[in-house]
Amino acid sequence: MTPVPSAGLTFSADGKVATLQMTNVPIIDQPRWPAMDAESTPAFLGFKLIFRAGDEAVLYEDPMRQYRFRGFKAVAQLEAEVRVPSIDFTFKTDPLETSKADFAVIGTEVNGKYY
Amino acid sequence: MKNDHAFHFKVNRRHWLKLGVSSIVGGRLADTLLNAQSVTPSCAPAIPQNHEPSNGGACPYPIPWLDKNGNHNQPAAPNVELSSIFHFEGKLARCSGFHGMGTDNKGNRLTWGTPTTDYSYMAGEYWAARQPHEGIFAHT
Repeated sequence: MTPVPSAGLTFSADGKVATLQMTNVPIIDQPRWPAMDAESTPAFLGFKLIFRAGDEAVLYEDPMRQYRFRGFKAVAQLEAEVRVPSIDFTFKTDPLETSKADFAVIGTEVNGKYY
Repeated sequence: MKNDHAFHFKVNRRHWLKLGVSSIVGGRLADTLLNAQSVTPSCAPAIPQNHEPSNGGACPYPIPWLDKNGNHNQPAAPNVELSSIFHFEGKLARCSGFHGMGTDNKGNRLTWGTPTTDYSYMAGEYWAARQPHEGIFAHT
């Protein structure tokens, strides 16, 4: 989990479109995960991710685990660039419009003491 | 009896010698281990001074049934906990199962994405150190 600068997350005026954009996020490249001895290499990620809310409302709730999510199914698209300096590797995805996510939701959640 | 005393004396001297060497090695090892520790995050709990209470740090609290790194062990899906922060109230979006194409620095065309290629943001209030905090976080 990475802290996001306030300028990194923006919403459209109607709140239906969210854009998360970050650069040089420190990550690890760990090709053999989840092997116990999987070696990891420092890497950096830059990405732009857009959520567009649809019309289908969703409610996910579990009183035992104390969470409630209310929102809408969404379309999510991503473009990203990964750098692994130690092996001189970079990878850039095709433009945002060409990506697709199988599952996406956007909304609000309460959990724990806020449940 | 005399021999026994002499034996015990030698054992004790050896014991002290070993202890001395062990202390030196142990001390150096402790230094090495301490030097290997990661930088303390700014939200780590402060060491209380003057007998003040310790209320923990301002770092967000992870979801209790997830692993200690706060990672989700399940792809985002309907009817699962979508947040990475426990005691949270705010805006959240999550997605998983990305797939697409891309190009590496050698010009190779590669596919990317797996069912666990998931991203999320959490923007709002969370509870830590016995008080509310505002923050924006991303799970990448």
